[in-house]
Amino acid sequence: MTIVFNPMAIPGRRILVTGAASGIGRATSLLLGRLGARLICVDSNGEGLEETAAAMDGTGHAFHVRDLNQLDAIGEWLPAIADASGKLHGFVHAAGIPAPWPLRAISPASWRKVFSVNTEAALTLAQVFEKRRVRAEGSTSIVFISSVMASVGSPASVVYSMTKAALEGAARSLALELSAKKIRVNCIAPGFVKTPMLNRVEALWDAGERARVEALHPLGFGEPDDIAHAAAFLLADAARWITGTVLVVDGGYTAQ
Amino acid sequence: MNLYTLVTGASSGLGQSIAVRLSDNRRLILNGRNPERLQQTLNSCANPDQHIVWEFDLCDVQNLSDSLGAVIAERKIAIDCFVHAAGILKILPVRSVTYKMLAEVLNTNLVSAFEIVSLLVRRRVNQQQLKNVVFVSSIASEFGAPGFSMYAASKSALDGLMRSLAVELAPNVRVNSILPGGFRTPMTEAMLSDPTVEAKLVRDYPLGLGLIEDIVNAADFLTSDRSRWITGHQLVVDGGRSINIAI
Repeated sequence: MTIVFNPMAIPGRRILVTGAASGIGRATSLLLGRLGARLICVDSNGEGLEETAAAMDGTGHAFHVRDLNQLDAIGEWLPAIADASGKLHGFVHAAGIPAPWPLRAISPASWRKVFSVNTEAALTLAQVFEKRRVRAEGSTSIVFISSVMASVGSPASVVYSMTKAALEGAARSLALELSAKKIRVNCIAPGFVKTPMLNRVEALWDAGERARVEALHPLGFGEPDDIAHAAAFLLADAARWITGTVLVVDGGYTAQ
Repeated sequence: MNLYTLVTGASSGLGQSIAVRLSDNRRLILNGRNPERLQQTLNSCANPDQHIVWEFDLCDVQNLSDSLGAVIAERKIAIDCFVHAAGILKILPVRSVTYKMLAEVLNTNLVSAFEIVSLLVRRRVNQQQLKNVVFVSSIASEFGAPGFSMYAASKSALDGLMRSLAVELAPNVRVNSILPGGFRTPMTEAMLSDPTVEAKLVRDYPLGLGLIEDIVNAADFLTSDRSRWITGHQLVVDGGRSINIAI
């Protein structure tokens, strides 16, 4: 039997995933577990995190209930987790808050909460990850889950679009600032994926709106696994020459 | 009926490396101009006896359809995946470009891809088997550089074609492109012996020059089911070059 080099493999890599209790974060955690990574799963929802833990393959994973709204706390708990679990080879910021609000309904208080989790937490995680106490030697990879709303628009999406566009802007400059340390930084921009977040947005739609939105995707709605595979690709050595890009995984939503 | 993956430009460079990688688990049609080098590619592939060599100069777009159509009909096969890696790079000031040169670049880089997809979505020819198309474009599709007029025009047009095909042929066919930056090949090794060229590349490429395998990995990803919800996308694989407007 010949052993074929598999550039998609990530055995033994230690990867932090935020938003791991549901949707894209959970699917990414489960896929990375199947690929042999050791996961550090973080979410504010402890119950969902337990469900993710119960479904995980492999060993050596850790699960932590943390609130990403508390930006200052990240600098405390992330190094402590690295001390306990080992240094990280990368992270996926999949935590995100939907904000399906028209302009008249938003306030600084409401948009700051969304901005804090969707964008500022990503930046803070990158800042703490860069530290030698947290980050493993050699090539490492950061993946931010953005959205097609970073590059196109939609009514009642002003806050969400703003947070994701800022995230992509941050990723580009981070990619250049961190390249000398062999830290790659990329975004994934999903279209509408069948997740609990979509369910929450869908609850606000008229009858027929779901079909109309799905029809905007030439390949239909996506599955969380579709995003998980893209994240695995960006974390693996297969993507060792990819940095500062946005990998659009949207079933053709933005091609038309 | 056996399903095949067509790889153009398979006689050298990136196309050859993509063919060798994909031969692990696919039957291939290897296209190129040079029979000896095509044979070398075939010999490097896994399971050499199950692949087909199609020697044809893609610049000859008038006869392309007939030639490929004959291969499909004679072998009683269908093509489910098409990787367009063939491409010619001519760097020349715009004042020196002739129509003949431009036609050669556009025919090989762009029109041949158009002709091939157009053939492969004809029901009688390919039995509706086409599922996946990957074009090798370039970051020159998105950015300007002196002397790149012909090449950039061909690659921008290729990406325009890619997006329209992605929308027109969904949900049956996925269509994407890869935009490589400069990666090491026998050709660039010669350029790199010049220290000023090397210094510029080090400055421009945050992750350094890429390796051919970096682009092959992207082609592997886009031709696999792991990318089954990706269509109409330009996958940039350039070590950060295109976001780095260096001084």
